[in-house]
Amino acid sequence: MLHRRFYQFLIIYGLGLGLLLVLKYSLNLSDYVIPSPDEIGRTGRAYAWPYLLAVLNTLGVAILGHILSICLATIVAVIGRLTAWIGSFIRTAAFNIQAYPIVAVAPIIFILLGDGLPSRLLIAAMICYFPLLLSFIGVFSEPVREIEHFYESTGRMTWRLQVKIRAFENIRKLTTVIVGSATMAMVGTIVAEFIAATAGIGYSIRIALYQSDLAKILVALFLIGVGTSLYLVSLEWAGNAIQRRLKSA
Amino acid sequence: MQTMLKLFFFSSLIFLSACAPQEKLEEVNYRLKWLYNVSTIGDLYADAQGHFARRGLKVNVKPGGPERDALKELELGHAQFGVASADQVLRAASKGAPIVVLAQLFQVNPLHWIYRPDRTAFSSGGDLKGKRIGVTFGGNDEAILRALLARYGIAETEVSLFSVRYDYTPFYEGRVDFWPLYLNAQAVIIGEKLEKAGEVYAFLSPDQLGVRFVANSVVTTREMLAKRPGTVKRFLSALLDGWRDALDPRNQEKAIQVLLEADRETPEAVVRRQLSVTRDLTLPPSGAEFGRIDAAAWAQTEEVMRAQNLIPAPVDVESLLVTPK
Repeated sequence: MLHRRFYQFLIIYGLGLGLLLVLKYSLNLSDYVIPSPDEIGRTGRAYAWPYLLAVLNTLGVAILGHILSICLATIVAVIGRLTAWIGSFIRTAAFNIQAYPIVAVAPIIFILLGDGLPSRLLIAAMICYFPLLLSFIGVFSEPVREIEHFYESTGRMTWRLQVKIRAFENIRKLTTVIVGSATMAMVGTIVAEFIAATAGIGYSIRIALYQSDLAKILVALFLIGVGTSLYLVSLEWAGNAIQRRLKSA
Repeated sequence: MQTMLKLFFFSSLIFLSACAPQEKLEEVNYRLKWLYNVSTIGDLYADAQGHFARRGLKVNVKPGGPERDALKELELGHAQFGVASADQVLRAASKGAPIVVLAQLFQVNPLHWIYRPDRTAFSSGGDLKGKRIGVTFGGNDEAILRALLARYGIAETEVSLFSVRYDYTPFYEGRVDFWPLYLNAQAVIIGEKLEKAGEVYAFLSPDQLGVRFVANSVVTTREMLAKRPGTVKRFLSALLDGWRDALDPRNQEKAIQVLLEADRETPEAVVRRQLSVTRDLTLPPSGAEFGRIDAAAWAQTEEVMRAQNLIPAPVDVESLLVTPK
């Protein structure tokens, strides 16, 4: 699984880079507009280590933010399943809040919480939280009639059992949503760092952009791709392991 | 009958002159460095008051911004003229970008640091030692600050650098001693707020401390200069006329109206104060032409960037600075 994701990423990255170089040489552009392979190589050697640390920093915040939003989305969706009205209210609120672009909200968060870890964490969580919430509400509000009917008619249905049944029956859907939102957590963290933080790869990209240094940005994008691929593979592996365990139980 | 004939003759003449083909204006794109604000007042004025049209040009004056780079647009052919700061120009030239500088709009770099003299004692560059100084890492204020520190023999460990963004709260709260800003833009607004709060403030001018780091300049490509020298000359003379007129106190009201039409976000009272500061920063010493290129300041800028490894190789500054014939 790891090598498949990794070589898929390498193909995409290679194609993108190749296209840039074709443009560079066909339009005879200077290294200022598109860096030469030699410059990209030199930049890669010089910045691989500090950028790798920055990507790990970002990845750490993204994972924390992702976990936070999964927990929060589960709690809210479980509460939201109680009545149709609460479920519909939470769904509408989630849609409305999601409609605000994070670049408009982020400066307010940074003014209130400063440019440290809490702001980055909150923004990462916000970006992946609402899509998670909407899917979780959908899953937990939808009865699995053929199973739930048995417990309801025998009077053994509890709210915990109901949540377990619905989660078990939709485990594949939940895993897909969680894996899908992982990239959003990573993107959210990078956006937060780009806007106002003083650490992480988003901050490094901002500095490189100030310096019009595309070579640095290409190196950063490569490492972000590697980091995200590793995280996604870990999540897929964990999802598969949980599914196997549930099936065997 | 004769009267009728005369009438027919004259009306035909009027009709024909109206139908005669107008001289076609040559269209070029001009990418500014930043959004429309007081630092672009001359560019906007030249367009609005017909300076370009009178020289046979239709100039699309396009706003810049953080995601825009006039130099890249020049090379890609999306723009024929642009505004860029000296550090951008030198970075691009060091990587082989075929560009030239036609004029220097700011004679003094508007980038300054604001501080509170009643809390932060400052009389010379050496006083920066031990202070907490705001800096945009990667921005040209970082290069200027490092040049100042080097000039006054202050090691980086002897100051505390604070990463700044758009939020001025750390300065308002007194957590940072010096905060970078543009003297003709944010300084007017921040100064007003501090005045209202009864606070005193002053500005640290890198130029006065001996670091002359060139700011906005007008640029084009070498190809444009070689193949369309007439267009370059007409553009430049129209542009510089526009700037001179916009800064002339006699045209102040007209200039302010032109700017307010493009920049609807800034209140008129602020624009008035900003324009007066912009005059001081852009007008050359008496006797010199508007837009004169300060070759010594360019050489110093190159030296600063080379010393800080911001450019991979030395740049032949003289070959960059041209005056179209």
